[in-house]
Amino acid sequence: MTDSLVILDPTDEQRPIVSRLAQRPSRLAGTLGIIDISKARGDIFCDELELLLAKQSTSVKIERFRKPTFTKPAADDFREEVAERCNAIIQALAD
Amino acid sequence: MSRLPDAGNVSPSFTLMDLAEISCDFGQTFDHPAYLLFFVKKDCETCTLVAPVVEQIHQTLSAHGLKVLTISQSNKVDTQKFIKDTGLTTTILLDQNLYVSDDYGFDAVPTFVLTNETGTILKTFEGWSQNSFNELLEKSVKILNTKLTQFETSILVLPDWLPGCASRVHDPDTARRLAVRRGDERLAARRIRVPVKTEKDEFEFLFNRGLTDGLPVVPPTEKRVLKMLDGTSRPATDVVAHVPPNLSPVTVEKIAINAVMAGCRPEYIPVVIAAVEAVCTDTFNLHGVLATTYFVGPVIIVNGPIRHDINLNCGRNLFGQGTRANATIGRALQLIVRNIGGGKPGEVDMSTFGQPGKFTCCIGEFEERSCWDPLHVERGFKVKQNTVTVFAGEAPRAIRDQRSRSASSLATSLGLSLESVAHVKLHGMGEVLLVVSPEHNQTFARGGYTKDTLRERIQEVTSRPLSELLPDPNCEKGTPLSVLPREWKTSDNSVTEQALSQSFPKFLDSKDILITVAGGEAGKFSAVVGGWAAGGLGSSAVTREIQF
Repeated sequence: MTDSLVILDPTDEQRPIVSRLAQRPSRLAGTLGIIDISKARGDIFCDELELLLAKQSTSVKIERFRKPTFTKPAADDFREEVAERCNAIIQALAD
Repeated sequence: MSRLPDAGNVSPSFTLMDLAEISCDFGQTFDHPAYLLFFVKKDCETCTLVAPVVEQIHQTLSAHGLKVLTISQSNKVDTQKFIKDTGLTTTILLDQNLYVSDDYGFDAVPTFVLTNETGTILKTFEGWSQNSFNELLEKSVKILNTKLTQFETSILVLPDWLPGCASRVHDPDTARRLAVRRGDERLAARRIRVPVKTEKDEFEFLFNRGLTDGLPVVPPTEKRVLKMLDGTSRPATDVVAHVPPNLSPVTVEKIAINAVMAGCRPEYIPVVIAAVEAVCTDTFNLHGVLATTYFVGPVIIVNGPIRHDINLNCGRNLFGQGTRANATIGRALQLIVRNIGGGKPGEVDMSTFGQPGKFTCCIGEFEERSCWDPLHVERGFKVKQNTVTVFAGEAPRAIRDQRSRSASSLATSLGLSLESVAHVKLHGMGEVLLVVSPEHNQTFARGGYTKDTLRERIQEVTSRPLSELLPDPNCEKGTPLSVLPREWKTSDNSVTEQALSQSFPKFLDSKDILITVAGGEAGKFSAVVGGWAAGGLGSSAVTREIQF
């Protein structure tokens, strides 16, 4: 179980506190994560994507992740692991 | 205040360990006709004195079904010493985390709780009272269907009344821990669970969610916020103000949360509350101060004895870094404007340049080094009253005069320097804050200059013919016609011939030259903090008394 700290919301609570979007990288570098959300044949799509990206850039390291189901949001642990290991991600979403 | 349940209520159930680390339940099943709970701690004289009486009850009435549980707030070793000193042979249970004591809610030990066979309370009392004890005894023998014969001798050696000792639940840090466990009703704010894998995560979390001013903030845990709330007697649910630009209500609790984030100590929170009240007035016009492209922010000036109570800097390095009260009070206000009011750069905050004072700007007046009435006295308060004055100000700028020996010369110097506030040709301005250093103030004291004399001299020195102040081909900036007296203007919105030769001072009203004395005792400089738009269209300084 993830350790957690409880803090009190310092805002007026009119809106949920959301993360700000990270800046989109201008080029591929570092570690790129490919997340398969477990839709049918999503794994095949991600495999093809990985091959294409590897050809396009030999300096980028690719890491593969797979959510257990597409029907639920990613668990905290999963998100934290991806965020720790990757500089950017591609998430395969649609059918 | 004691929350010990009265007779007729059900006693809270619990599970505690005894000295042999065997678990003992109370309140799940009842196999005795009556129970006596005796709460104690070591180093409580009264507990030690009355323990033999409790022992006697145990010896006499256990055979009739009374179960005596001595519940100690001390650790195992101290409890064992207490047992040795008092000779108690009852069941001894350890309430080291004080949850059971907190559930029973008493303020003092010893505390006695007598219950019947279903856990319903028959009698309670705290400390020692002969009468209360007699009553407890009476109820015990009644419920046990027996008679008393052997007690009188030992009871007679005890006074009619003895005070208890404070229950350990009131130890400061313990009280807050227990309040968090109880879900202290003072804390109504939404809880946010921050996943923490490394020690930096909670700081990054707060950064990533736009809740900081760019510097790390102290994570506002429940315990820290409860501690902050101890700094004021105002209820946590009090709505202090509605904060622009969103006009969101800010409670004392929300102020405390942001004050924790800023790094305030609890004794600073009354100052922060007063500052929030002051900036949220129509007179101060925080919305305008925030939304303008000009670069002003609230400058907080504190007067009164509180300056010393909270070690607020009034002297050397006045506007600079290093003093916690100065740094964090101003910062708390800015975080409230951001997090509650929604005033963020790039959104409603349209300031072209901003300025460092928008991180924090809080100073104290050096009243003890001034020959004049302090700022708050001029503004209608008594010298011993604690106040904040908020002023919409630029960053401070230096006025260097290390040569003037006479008050008249120094006043001339300050006036000439003040003409450059905002723009030399911009006259008829609104408020300005002049911070006179102690050395400069001494020069005025020697020359018998009052604040009003200084103001008059500033206006005199800055007065120029209107013809020099209007836009011209060389410099299209000038004093706007809107600030000129009506009689100087023509019907077609120009100026009359006669007006051109009239002298017009820098400030529309000399009373708008706010003067305070502060800064280090060495240095023949003063500081000017320029203001924003005048009066009804802009912002005017507001002074509020600090309430505790």
